Amino acid sequence: MVLLRLEDRRAACLGLVLSALQKQVSQLPVPYTKQQEEADEYGLCRCCIALAEFTKSFVVEVKRKDGNYATTAEDEELRTELLKFCMRSLREPLLEAELNRNRKSSLWLFATEIMVILPAIQESLSELLFFNSLKKSTLMDNSQLKESRACLAYLLFVQLITMDSFPAVFSPVFVLQCNMEYINQLLSSKKESHLLKGLALYSTSLERVQDNSLPVSLLELKSFYSVPQNLLKVLTDCPMQHLRESGLQVFQLFINKLDAEAKHKFFRCILKTSNHAGVESYVVKNIRNQVAFSMKPGNANKWFLGEEFVSLLGLVLCLPQGAETDLLNSMDRIMESLNLLRYLLIRDEGLWSSTDVWEELGRIQDEYLKMLRVCISISRAYYSAELKALRENQKLKAKEARDAARSTRLVKSITVKHKQVSNMSPDVQNQVLQSALVTFDLMESLIVRIEEITEEKLKISN
Amino acid sequence: MTTDQDLPMDAQSATLVFAAKGIDVTPNKDQGVIKVVKRPGLDGDRPMIGDRVTVHYTGKLLTGKKFDCSRDRKEPFCFNVGKGQVLKAWDVGVLSMQKGEVCTLLCQPEYAYGPAGNPDKIPPSSPVVFEMELLKFEGEMLTDDGGIIRRIKVKGDGYTNPNDGASVDVHLEGSCGGRLFDCRDVNFIVGEAEDKGVPLGVDRAMDKMQRGECCVLYLKPKYGFGSEGKAEYKIGPDKDIVYEVTLKDFQRAKESWEMDLNEKLDLAAGVKHKGNQYFKAGRYFQAVIQYQRIVSWLEMECGTGIEQQKRIQDFILTAHLNLALCFLRIKEYSQVVENCNKVIELDESNEKALYRRGEARLLRNEFSLAMADFQQVLQVNPLKSGSSCSDFHLPEQD
Repeated sequence: MVLLRLEDRRAACLGLVLSALQKQVSQLPVPYTKQQEEADEYGLCRCCIALAEFTKSFVVEVKRKDGNYATTAEDEELRTELLKFCMRSLREPLLEAELNRNRKSSLWLFATEIMVILPAIQESLSELLFFNSLKKSTLMDNSQLKESRACLAYLLFVQLITMDSFPAVFSPVFVLQCNMEYINQLLSSKKESHLLKGLALYSTSLERVQDNSLPVSLLELKSFYSVPQNLLKVLTDCPMQHLRESGLQVFQLFINKLDAEAKHKFFRCILKTSNHAGVESYVVKNIRNQVAFSMKPGNANKWFLGEEFVSLLGLVLCLPQGAETDLLNSMDRIMESLNLLRYLLIRDEGLWSSTDVWEELGRIQDEYLKMLRVCISISRAYYSAELKALRENQKLKAKEARDAARSTRLVKSITVKHKQVSNMSPDVQNQVLQSALVTFDLMESLIVRIEEITEEKLKISN
Repeated sequence: MTTDQDLPMDAQSATLVFAAKGIDVTPNKDQGVIKVVKRPGLDGDRPMIGDRVTVHYTGKLLTGKKFDCSRDRKEPFCFNVGKGQVLKAWDVGVLSMQKGEVCTLLCQPEYAYGPAGNPDKIPPSSPVVFEMELLKFEGEMLTDDGGIIRRIKVKGDGYTNPNDGASVDVHLEGSCGGRLFDCRDVNFIVGEAEDKGVPLGVDRAMDKMQRGECCVLYLKPKYGFGSEGKAEYKIGPDKDIVYEVTLKDFQRAKESWEMDLNEKLDLAAGVKHKGNQYFKAGRYFQAVIQYQRIVSWLEMECGTGIEQQKRIQDFILTAHLNLALCFLRIKEYSQVVENCNKVIELDESNEKALYRRGEARLLRNEFSLAMADFQQVLQVNPLKSGSSCSDFHLPEQD
């Protein structure tokens, strides 16, 4: 009330009041569960609603004058303060809050208020989100501003707040491109609330794009490199399973939207940068699917058949650590790679049009299998030795136990213990070692099968 | 006869009506977008590809139902035409309009919302009608500060652009105040155009150009010859210049992730040296580009073994410190702070970083923060107290 009576410098005062209030409110914890939100123990929800109410009269002020072309400096200042309020609110508390359009909680209503204030003060959402039109210095820190915009993008595209008055004429690829910046911001955070929103925004933006349509040039954009890298970090490091699961789905969705050349480049990139056997095996599986797809009539392309493909294959069928490869660690990847190789050999049918390509493949295959055999024999020798030592140790212990039971005195066992492999019990150790050896057998049998197929093909072609 | 009276219509009659009265504006004449002019515009230019256009529009289904209208938002709609930011029909249609023109476009689904339609608003495979008014258009801003404005004369093709480090073959025609001062074919490395006497603005525009593109660049002095001017071209200080650039061919540089670590480390020394040379010559923007290359190559790398890790860290630290210094010269203080922060993350008591951050904060009038930094410098290196004190000075009064 007092502020409304002020004539001059109203905007500056409003600014001070709002920023002081928001500072206090930002210290309140954000509710995590539905129950917490309804209880609103710390009053965060009530405060937000109150703040929104408070700003309404000022918004009306600014709106009333929008008919005239001339706006006073005072109005401009008022607009700026209201804009600052909105941008700050988007970051705190809205970015942390769990919002769901099926359950219109107080924080949801607050979000709606913010989204209504923005166009009312002539801040076009599309300009704000897509065309980077904010006078940066006055507002906030660059990365904070990005967080606010990211939240805005989420509210608009995922929660669909005020979506019906948003222009319907943007192309889905453009929307995806712009949103990638925000998705990157959200996925680089460690906070669950940010990650959830990032994944949802990513998913929604991808869904509107046609399958197999994203061109390779998009991958040259920095955000299109960083987002998948950040996503992979979530998949490999995030402790929350539900995030890893949804993350994997979005990862596959992204792959599905890339066109053939883009997929090729993307797979190359991930194989070169991931250093994680699970991720690599997933990519190799995708590669096999792409080859299968490309072999169907009408789908032939040079990225998964022929010369270009061989370069990709070179990345798949390689052992960067050579003879020191930890086979068990890389098992997933190696098995997928061997399966791919077998698949290629069986489904040949004119795949390898030129003899150069065929020779190149043969060379890659030979080197790979040779090195793999070396690794298997080294690993097998090691694990067999471990298993033998374990058994010897067991026997020794059993003998001692029998001796101790026979004699009445307590004999202090002076067992020469074999070096402890781990803290596991001997039974479990036994199982682990046995299964390791089985794995090597499996790998080897697959290699043998591949060599058989290769032999047959050579016989046929001669 | 306004088209409002004509709706609702079915698809076939709509096509017939429009085709009779209007023109097919699609490049391959497949009747995907047919335009009927309601009010002709000012005779003159049409927008060029990439231009920032401002329109008012109303979108309706053939049933007559309105699904989107800029006037309802009381705000004209802006976008860059011909770049795939909007519906295909718009990219095609708006390019055919003149300033002030009002027209109606009948758009087949392939040029609009396609087989999927738009959930809620547009049924699958629907033709749509747009009434458009072209309010104005202007060149495309390639940088946030409006220092490089581009208008494309001939569209290029292909899907990729040159990146930093790419080798480009261009034809240049530079003019100032209408007078041609530079006309030549030249090959240069993106980021190092300076070496061939090519201004920063042309260099920075490269990564937005396509093979075969011919465009006109309007450069402010910051991106041209600055306050020095260029005597050999008889250009005075602080002049706007115009360059017509044709990108004949280019060879992209390897992506950071395509290079292996040793390759990057080998090249990094050379890049740092180049950066230093630019810095000494006062070419701060160019120096920044070089130092940023080092950062983008190495910031994600871990290295194997302590020695390699140390090499990586040294390069990154030096790069950030040098960037901070460059940004101090260019007066981009928030960038100074960001780079100093990166150094301090790795090395808490790095004297140079603290000092440069202090300087930047001082020049932003963040006095208490600046004091804190300077005090830390003194703590870290009390021997410096003598010389540092003389560097403290009050900000100048305007």
